[in-house]
Amino acid sequence: MDALGDPTRRQVFELLRRGPRSVGELAAELPVSRPAVSQHLRVLEDAGLVTHRRQGTRHLYAIESEGVVVLRAWVDEFWDEALARFKAAAETKGEAP
Amino acid sequence: MSDALVIEAVRKTITVDCVVEEAFRIFTTDAISWWPLDSHSIHGDNVKQIVFEEHEGGEIYELTADGKKGHWASILAWEPPNRLVLAWNILERDTNSTEVEVRFRADGDTTRVDLEHRGWEDVAEEREAKRDNYDTGWDHVLGFYERRLG
Repeated sequence: MDALGDPTRRQVFELLRRGPRSVGELAAELPVSRPAVSQHLRVLEDAGLVTHRRQGTRHLYAIESEGVVVLRAWVDEFWDEALARFKAAAETKGEAP
Repeated sequence: MSDALVIEAVRKTITVDCVVEEAFRIFTTDAISWWPLDSHSIHGDNVKQIVFEEHEGGEIYELTADGKKGHWASILAWEPPNRLVLAWNILERDTNSTEVEVRFRADGDTTRVDLEHRGWEDVAEEREAKRDNYDTGWDHVLGFYERRLG
């Protein structure tokens, strides 16, 4: 299984990064059938990259909130804080006689 | 790998008002003076030292007052005072690591620092491959994350 290697699955993943969508909405934006979209979603979901929840009668799919995207966002924020602290330390110590 | 997912590297640039040699030294061997240990270390406030083995292949680790060691990263490139590349196992030690490259460039008496944290695709692929074994590692990381949000 190669959840991230397939170009259509990558498109599905990219669309979901912009916000939760239903199978129908995804199919409307992609040149593949609804059953094909469902199949791709199942692979992404099995890989832990996508989750879904029911909203009324339809299922909404979204990026798995505990996935790599969240980890990366956490690291992005971490470096802002760490580099600000580094800058303050360097400018204090670096200027000391 | 041309079909592989691309997850953008984290990139940061800052300018520091000190000379390049000092910037590199403080970033590395004097990291204890700025690294947010309370939230981003294994032993928290008990850490007394951050050790950089200053050569390619060297290790970066934390040491507590009573001698407990915690691995942080491996040094892939050690080129003072201009470049540093680290392999950072962001989840668990025996998993794919991300790479952190930091460049220091003199600009008169100031230093431009460019940081790139990359390799998220490998983490994603590996997470997919070993998904069932990851719960502990992710709980750990997300624990940090939630604490920061809290």
